[in-house]
Amino acid sequence: MESGIRVLLLMAALAAVAPLSGCATVRNWFHHGSSGKNASASGDEDQAPPRVVEPEVARRQIKVPRIHSSNFELGADYGLISIEDFGTHPTYGFTLAYHITEDFFFQGEVARSRAGQTSFETLSQIQLLTESERRFTYYDLSLGYNFLPGEAFIGRGRAMTSAFYLIGGFGGTDFAGDTKFTVNFGAGYRVVPADWLAFHITLQNHVFQSSILGSTKLTNNLEARIGTTVFF
Amino acid sequence: MIRRAHQCALASLLLLAALLTPAVSGAREYLQLFVTQPYLELHTGPGRGYPVFHVVAREESVDVLFRRTDWFKVRTERGVEGWASQADMQKTVLADGTPFKFDLGDRAGFTSHHFEAGIFAGAYGGANYISAYGSLSFNSQMALEGAVGQFLGRYSNGYTGDIGLIHVIAPESRWSPFVTLGIGEVHIEPKATLVQAVDRSEATAYVGGGVRFYLTRRFFLRAEYKAHYIFTTRNQNEEADEWKAGFAFFF
Repeated sequence: MESGIRVLLLMAALAAVAPLSGCATVRNWFHHGSSGKNASASGDEDQAPPRVVEPEVARRQIKVPRIHSSNFELGADYGLISIEDFGTHPTYGFTLAYHITEDFFFQGEVARSRAGQTSFETLSQIQLLTESERRFTYYDLSLGYNFLPGEAFIGRGRAMTSAFYLIGGFGGTDFAGDTKFTVNFGAGYRVVPADWLAFHITLQNHVFQSSILGSTKLTNNLEARIGTTVFF
Repeated sequence: MIRRAHQCALASLLLLAALLTPAVSGAREYLQLFVTQPYLELHTGPGRGYPVFHVVAREESVDVLFRRTDWFKVRTERGVEGWASQADMQKTVLADGTPFKFDLGDRAGFTSHHFEAGIFAGAYGGANYISAYGSLSFNSQMALEGAVGQFLGRYSNGYTGDIGLIHVIAPESRWSPFVTLGIGEVHIEPKATLVQAVDRSEATAYVGGGVRFYLTRRFFLRAEYKAHYIFTTRNQNEEADEWKAGFAFFF
């Protein structure tokens, strides 16, 4: 009888303590009340990890400096041009090139020379052109191809990159009071002693149709020039 | 006259050198990259044929001095300078471990790029025509374009200048057609043999279209037609057809 009553009392005591064991307030005694909100929320408190350390380290910022491109080439040149029927005369000009790939480049050139007298003018003393009409100004837009890239050596300790190149394009020639559509083609040699500096030797033919001496014909105007350019 | 010209040429050259030298040799902050492959090859020149004279080992770094076409001039930790190819540089990483990314000048660049330029030959109103253009892209389809040209004909010579918008219809396609619309100016110099020939400048407007064809690397071919309307001060406006084809590149 007594044992029956003891069993009943124990069951009643267990029933009273059971809710307490799952109670949030009991659990929070060990967490100093910090996670009270989480615990009092719904039943997903078991999945939320306790926050142990505040991440106070700032993410490292890598500053990426801009890479300088050095594909343009600008310079001046000087040479001789043989103007068909009008003799060979000095020429000077400017070039601007843009290197697209290691093989190809675009080049623009503006140059000026001055035509002399034809043999007819010398013999007859009759002037075909005025002084201003003898000014021979031409420009070209060309595509170049680095045909034989290589290296040139000075002594044992110095090597310079170099290239033979082929060049061709079109442009205009202002001569004898008219501007003519001009096709050009030629070849050159470039040597690059420093990353920013280059020297050139170029041979180029400028072909245009001319009718100055009566009949219309294609004239070939061969030019040889040396030049210096800077890369930027 | 010639002597003065020579002096001018020499002076210009010296001035150019003086102006441009500091720009390439001045002290600046360089990009540091780390080698992740077994080694990075350094060539003696910016071209595929130049011999390899040095290798940079894995986890060593290089400073990128400058770029020329598809080659990078780099300096190693030990001060050795050489040229590294674009393909090898793609395998390097920045200090934070992220891959080094740069524009490659490939088919993707053809679809989307910032600038392009090119030269053309063709015909303008029946005359020979030489032209050059440059463009600034807003996105892969729309760009602002400026072109200058010179026409050389039997009856007149002259210059043209155009500015307009271009819309590329399928920029991702190797053959990509485009349409263009804009305004311009034409300066006409009739040949002196014609009676009462007077130089004149007129405003123009144009509409046109064409096609671009990607060749390789940074190159593409471009052909186009423009119908120009020349607004003259006379009773009738004039029209001029422009046909041209040429090479262009993007960067």
